[in-house]
Amino acid sequence: MILENPIPPFLEWIGPAVLNWLMAVVALSLLACVISLVILFIYKGVKRGSQGLASGIAEAWKELFHFSWKRCFAMALLAIRESIRKKVVVICVVFLILLMFAGWFLDPGSKDPARLCASFVYQTTTYLVLLLALFLSSLSLPSDFKSKTIYTIVTKPVRSSEIVLGRIIGIGAIGTGVLLLMAICSYFFVSSTLKHTHVLNDKEDLTQIVEEDPSTLPSDTVIAKGYTRLANGHKHMVEKYADGSVRVYEENGHSHAVEESSEGGIVRYKVGSSQGSMQAKVPIYGKIKFRNADGFERERGINVGEEWEYRSYVAGATDEAIIWTFEDITSERFADGLPVEMTISVFRTHMGNIEETIMGALYVRNPVTGLIAETHVFNSEKYTTKALHIPVEFDKSQVKDKPWLVKKMNDKSSFEALSQTELPRKDTYNLFEDFVVDGKVEIWLQCINDQQYFGAAGPDLYLRASDANVFFNFVKGYLGVWQQMLILISFGVLFSTFLSGPVAMVSTFGILIAGFCKDLFLEIAHLQALGGGPIESFNRLVTHENMMVDLPNTFSTHLGQAFDRIASAFLSVIGLALPSFSDFNYYADCVANGYNIPLNSILVHLVTTLSFVIPLFVAAYVILRNREVAK
Amino acid sequence: MGNESDVIVETKNLTKTYRDFWGRQKVRALKALDLEIRRGENERIGYLPEESYLYRFLNAEETLDFYGRLFKIPSAIRRQKVAQLIQMVGLDTANKRQLREYSKGMTRRLGLAQALINDPDLIVLDEPTSGLDPIGTRNMKKLILQLKEQGKTIIMSSHLLGDVQDVCDRVGILYQGELKELGRVEDLLKIVEQTEIRVAGLSEEAKRKIEKVIEEDKSRLVFCGNPTTSLEDLFHDIIAESEARPGKRVRGGENGK
Repeated sequence: MILENPIPPFLEWIGPAVLNWLMAVVALSLLACVISLVILFIYKGVKRGSQGLASGIAEAWKELFHFSWKRCFAMALLAIRESIRKKVVVICVVFLILLMFAGWFLDPGSKDPARLCASFVYQTTTYLVLLLALFLSSLSLPSDFKSKTIYTIVTKPVRSSEIVLGRIIGIGAIGTGVLLLMAICSYFFVSSTLKHTHVLNDKEDLTQIVEEDPSTLPSDTVIAKGYTRLANGHKHMVEKYADGSVRVYEENGHSHAVEESSEGGIVRYKVGSSQGSMQAKVPIYGKIKFRNADGFERERGINVGEEWEYRSYVAGATDEAIIWTFEDITSERFADGLPVEMTISVFRTHMGNIEETIMGALYVRNPVTGLIAETHVFNSEKYTTKALHIPVEFDKSQVKDKPWLVKKMNDKSSFEALSQTELPRKDTYNLFEDFVVDGKVEIWLQCINDQQYFGAAGPDLYLRASDANVFFNFVKGYLGVWQQMLILISFGVLFSTFLSGPVAMVSTFGILIAGFCKDLFLEIAHLQALGGGPIESFNRLVTHENMMVDLPNTFSTHLGQAFDRIASAFLSVIGLALPSFSDFNYYADCVANGYNIPLNSILVHLVTTLSFVIPLFVAAYVILRNREVAK
Repeated sequence: MGNESDVIVETKNLTKTYRDFWGRQKVRALKALDLEIRRGENERIGYLPEESYLYRFLNAEETLDFYGRLFKIPSAIRRQKVAQLIQMVGLDTANKRQLREYSKGMTRRLGLAQALINDPDLIVLDEPTSGLDPIGTRNMKKLILQLKEQGKTIIMSSHLLGDVQDVCDRVGILYQGELKELGRVEDLLKIVEQTEIRVAGLSEEAKRKIEKVIEEDKSRLVFCGNPTTSLEDLFHDIIAESEARPGKRVRGGENGK
């Protein structure tokens, strides 16, 4: 799975993140106070204005202590009833209709049908739920103002904070309900789409390749080969062994169990339902580094000229290697050895025989002594996930005579000392005794073929520790949509405290679009986008100038660019305060790629969500409090 | 709080609730009486706005339950109170219908019920009978008088002076934001220099004798004749007659001459 911006460990991240957040909140609060003060000075004069601001802040602060959860939940219940009576359930019907017809467009015979189906349901749910949140949050309070029902509410002992938070909680609750319903429907849709079986007949589908009596052969001898019948656009290779067992090879990310039955001398096979179509792998990632041809440690390998710099490469038939260091490796956790899974990129400088795959070798190495053992030699296909198993015991033939070392730029002495060391020889080596030191172990990857390259990024090789529950992981995937929804509801409620319904809706929609394109927004704000800033781009549009061409050296061009620089400062601040909605796609990506969503990322994203919801709630409260309800 | 129903009459809108710049909740007309309701101090006040601004997607029970929750009334008491109020305002047959299906009279009655959910000592009613038909008006007035009997203090603003006269003990007259008059209704309306005698079954001869006595006393006879009832009373009499004897056409006026 591609992780361009890996999520840092929660405990390391939370301290600096909260500090940054506090600084931003304080800065924004001060800015709001200064603007309020200027307005008050204009309308009320210096003395009354400053007194007004002070008493306003004091009363707003005091009021927060009179907040009542009971009244807040009454407001939330009202928002829920309003949503239900306004037939939000229609959105679920739309979703079910989409699912009903999705089978027409989704090809179950694709290479990765699980990813296809999961991506479809997550995207559909995201759009529908965010649209629902957009409408409900931005239209609810304005409709209260329009129908004047707020006039009755404010005669009761209810606070603005309760009105605002009640709305957020109520709309959030209805969105959560809709989302849960969609999650369960989606799960059944995906699992029923992927569920299938194949027909396999002994005589018609399997070809005997051995003439001898199977009982005289070793049990693992293949006696017949063939293919299952076509189902869901694919078929599986099947091998029958001398002991009568049948193996169905993996195809499109899944396999099947086969039961054999014999009636009156006729052998029948019953192919079970698909297994492993949906997974929730729990990967353990290591730290990646590279060894160059001279044996020096590098952070990155060779750049083969790809524009996307996510992966870094090592050359084949050289000393170059990609090295992953894993921690907390114990015999208790990995009693059977290390289950490695990797997705390696192959870069060919010459095609050679296109049918031939590029060879690679996998090693396990002691990070202190440099003792290394070759565990696997494998054929690598580009972007195909390969599962290898590093055993606990190694034969002496697998272990190299000399230690393989990595030079560090500022630590040559220890390297030389180690390179002179003769390692004691044994007949068998144990993974945990000879290669793991203080829980640390290194896995090395090399390309064998000359003039060909292997490329990888940190998350491309991992240890598959265990598998999580697929259903719960699928539901967890909806946490991303849920968190996006909460942020959007908070923005919608904030805008609806001072804007009319349609304007609040358009503003919230603007936030949604800008949040999904935050990277592009920041690129434009920092004047890094092709074609310049807003004014320069407009100039180019009007004058039909190419983006790559420098504009003529005129006064108007300079004036436009000066405006762009001023706009850049504003846009940068807005861009930093925007939520990055696309970050939450991480959840859907995890499920679609068959990975468990780690608790760490859930916590990080949850805190990120709260970091938006809390200030937006406070801003909405302050604005509603200062709004004269009955004009 | 007193036992009398207090009344304020104004020629413009009287009780507009609003929040000032700092969020203090105020009732504009009450300010004239030097009363200011601050935020959070309105637990003992019930308010019926000029129009019944209620959520049209809720039904009567849900509406009262919602307002009851805002006063943090415990659920058992709230349920009891809701049922009691719905019965009091005569909506027990329509308590499950959404408010969008209610007539104006029903909405006004429910509006009054929501103002009473917290069992307030002071009830502020803004135009409680405006836009209601005569039956609705009479029901509303009955309810106000019931509340008076329960010892509630009611401040009411209205343009319909007849209704004010029927239910209020004291009135204040406001014009352009200034209190012009304040006092008990009978005191304000009493014409001291005139005397009214009401007699049933008086003969023409007796009338002439009375006129002669007035003449001897050197007083001036302003009017001597049959008084008229109010149109409202006539309407209610006809309705009562109609309900008592369904199918019978009640004819007075020209045909009854």
